[in-house]
Amino acid sequence: MSGPLDKELATYSTKLANLLATSEGKFVIIHDDDVLGTFDTQMDAIAMGYRELGNVAFLVKQVTKTETPLNFVSNVLGI
Amino acid sequence: MPSFTTQLPDLQATGPLVEMHVGLANEAVEALKKNGTAIPNPVSATALIDTGATASVIHPDIVKQLGLKPVGVANVCTASADNVKCLQYAVLLMFANGVGGPVIALEAPLKGQQIQCLIGRDVLSHAVMIYNGYMKQFTLSF
Repeated sequence: MSGPLDKELATYSTKLANLLATSEGKFVIIHDDDVLGTFDTQMDAIAMGYRELGNVAFLVKQVTKTETPLNFVSNVLGI
Repeated sequence: MPSFTTQLPDLQATGPLVEMHVGLANEAVEALKKNGTAIPNPVSATALIDTGATASVIHPDIVKQLGLKPVGVANVCTASADNVKCLQYAVLLMFANGVGGPVIALEAPLKGQQIQCLIGRDVLSHAVMIYNGYMKQFTLSF
């Protein structure tokens, strides 16, 4: 489930073509409909998010053509 | 090199479990201070060190107790699930001896488990882990 960031994910999808052209591999930070910036590292983007937006939900995502899932060998996660 | 060693009589059955604390990332603490909002205390958790986990994971109760807000979404695959979206949170993981650091942890139910946290290879990429089955102990050094 990703309810709190649905809007941000939709914004990412809409802007992906542009982002790939300008910022492939970088980490984009999105809040609601707005792309707030791109950064070289995930933590830099997150730090900016907290600094500018405060303790609220925002989306930091690496700009890539295809997304590699995170793998877990066991079933411990319960998903 | 800061490190800790744990001996568990039933290490084979339980796996390498460690008692730790999960707290807000420093950046979140600064944001709350700026707002004049109270900072929640770190939450204690039992964690399993899992070399089969790409990233660290926290239980939804920890998310709720700390009032965490998501900073990302990741697609997750397990032995029985494919591309499930899981929210990500910036947290501080703190082990014994003051050892610890920031991670981006996934939220997952950890259903039916006696743990509230998984320590994944994101943390282990900064550590040396020695698993001594004969002695029923393991050491984690950073």
